[in-house]
Amino acid sequence: MRKYILKRVVTALFTLLAITLILFILMQLMPGSPFNDEKLNEAQRASLYAKYGLDQPIIIQFFKYVGNMFRGDLGVSYKISKNTPITQLIATRLPISIGVGFAAVLIGAVVGLLLGLLAAFKHDTVWDTLATIISVIGVSVPSYVFALALSYQFGFKLKWFPMLFSAKDVLGSSVLPSISLSMFTMASIARFTRSEMIEVLGSDYMLLAESKGLSGKKLVFSHALRNALIPIITVLAPLVVDLMTGSLVVEKIFSIPGVGSLLVNAIQSNDYNVVIALSFIYSAMYIGIMLVVDIMYGIIDPRIRVAKEGD
Amino acid sequence: MSNESAVLNQNEYIPTDADFVLKKNNADIEVDSNFASQSFWKEVIARFIRKRSAVFGLVFVLIITFFAFVGPGMNAYTYSGQNLEQKNLAPRIPIIEYTGLFDGHENINTTSGTKTVNYYFEKKLPDTFYWFGSDNFGRDIWTRTWSGAQVSLIIAVAAAIIDMIIGMSYGLISGYFGGKVDMVMQRILEIANGIPRLVIVTLLLLVFKPGMITIIIALMLTEWVGMSRIARAEMLKLKEQEFVLASRTLGAGSMHIIFSEILPNIIGPIITQVMFSIPTAIFTEAFLSFVGLGIPVPRCSLGSLISEGFNSFTTHPYQIIPPIIVMALLMLSFNLVADGLREALDPKLKEM
Repeated sequence: MRKYILKRVVTALFTLLAITLILFILMQLMPGSPFNDEKLNEAQRASLYAKYGLDQPIIIQFFKYVGNMFRGDLGVSYKISKNTPITQLIATRLPISIGVGFAAVLIGAVVGLLLGLLAAFKHDTVWDTLATIISVIGVSVPSYVFALALSYQFGFKLKWFPMLFSAKDVLGSSVLPSISLSMFTMASIARFTRSEMIEVLGSDYMLLAESKGLSGKKLVFSHALRNALIPIITVLAPLVVDLMTGSLVVEKIFSIPGVGSLLVNAIQSNDYNVVIALSFIYSAMYIGIMLVVDIMYGIIDPRIRVAKEGD
Repeated sequence: MSNESAVLNQNEYIPTDADFVLKKNNADIEVDSNFASQSFWKEVIARFIRKRSAVFGLVFVLIITFFAFVGPGMNAYTYSGQNLEQKNLAPRIPIIEYTGLFDGHENINTTSGTKTVNYYFEKKLPDTFYWFGSDNFGRDIWTRTWSGAQVSLIIAVAAAIIDMIIGMSYGLISGYFGGKVDMVMQRILEIANGIPRLVIVTLLLLVFKPGMITIIIALMLTEWVGMSRIARAEMLKLKEQEFVLASRTLGAGSMHIIFSEILPNIIGPIITQVMFSIPTAIFTEAFLSFVGLGIPVPRCSLGSLISEGFNSFTTHPYQIIPPIIVMALLMLSFNLVADGLREALDPKLKEM
């Protein structure tokens, strides 16, 4: 087990390093340099280059860059807000994004689980069909379509919730974005729970438990659900990806001051430094979550651990 | 003893002529459709057709594809033709307009409440029809929606096919050679998979000029990983089988075995994966357009139409509805078709 975890961690770090290298190369490829000012003469430019270490060999620059990134120094923004350290820009935005994302996962998981259970217990009835239709739509329709629809209906028409995010009413204005982000999570968990539950309910040990005379509640929760839930971890990885992409657009639609809308703004105003810094953060988060998911797989299902150690 | 044999003799069955008459049931045998005697693809088609949702999806894919290529030519407007005099007109369709629907009226929210206006009459345009309305620049939304769908479809299908070729070859080669080759190739893949797609696509489009080709390349770079995993897994299953050994004994080279012996046997899962990657590509493209890295103007895609419509979706909601519905339907249908195909190609698979 320890060997397995160590191997995963090393791979993750290596991936992060590779990403940093790619980001660094892209930085070099970006059109223009920060000191492209015509008014600067050669000497001034050289002194600026020396100040920021741009005159050193590219290898040294790279290692410095890596060191800075891993220490949490992400550089400064050039356009969005001049000369503000990017860490400072992110510090206030990250909690908001994580909050909305977490709420989305929570709503999605609970509703998805209930929907999946309903479909499994009422297998081949109207309820099952209904749950299946909802989950197919949830999986295939992108979250920002839901975001637009919800914001039009409940924000603009009915005025139940604010259409745009306001700092005064964080809870109320997070409802619509969280729901629209949760649709994919909900749908995939519902789908998965349904198929796993149907399989588990038909298994021999459920028959045994039933013939032992266990009551319905105990049967469902400690025998069926527990076994059905294990494979649900496998849907976690795609969910993380979807939440990241989804959050960008959803944050823009509801104008939430989160990391996603910062990235969108940075892309639109060509603030390369911010884009690259955020790419690094997104990658680090993604790799971190993947690492956790991988290790969880290993703990729960020893077969995966053995297989991965083998190859 | 003699008693017993007498009893036996009494019970002995004496066959008569009526017992063994051949039943002339050749007609029945012909009617009986024995699945074992059908070809693989016939069976797949039969199973696919039996699944209603898959057929529904296929019908919608075909309808949308048809309109995507024929729709823009169905009226006199072009996707880039602007007419600023006729901007923000609500949908109006001939004949149907008499029912009160799609007659060009829209509700305008003013400070004193909501009022209904019909700009076609106010601007004295009795013979002008914008079937889906017109946008901020007076462009026909019908034409733009379908030509946007066309662009989105072309990008998605091209990206899916290119991924298929790259991912499949990568997976097949990695799986076939195994050992060190496989190890190195899998490590590369692991790193490629560790980078969030969003990041790759965004950065690529920042460095290169946005356009159809760049978007296809960006999509290609992100989607091949899944494809290569499937191809490799299938290869590992098949490469120990006798037909491969037979082919090798007959002197076939590695590339021949990979691409003409094994490839035809794994075409099912590959096609399914292609079908699943098309909606993903449509979504990613729409997302890029929404963020501002999509198809440059005046060309449009479903994503760029949605992002344009978003700016005025509270005042003129009809501008965003057609592209949103077309995109949602398109993604839904492709997913349904892919689901149906997966089950049709592999009936042993448990229902998801």
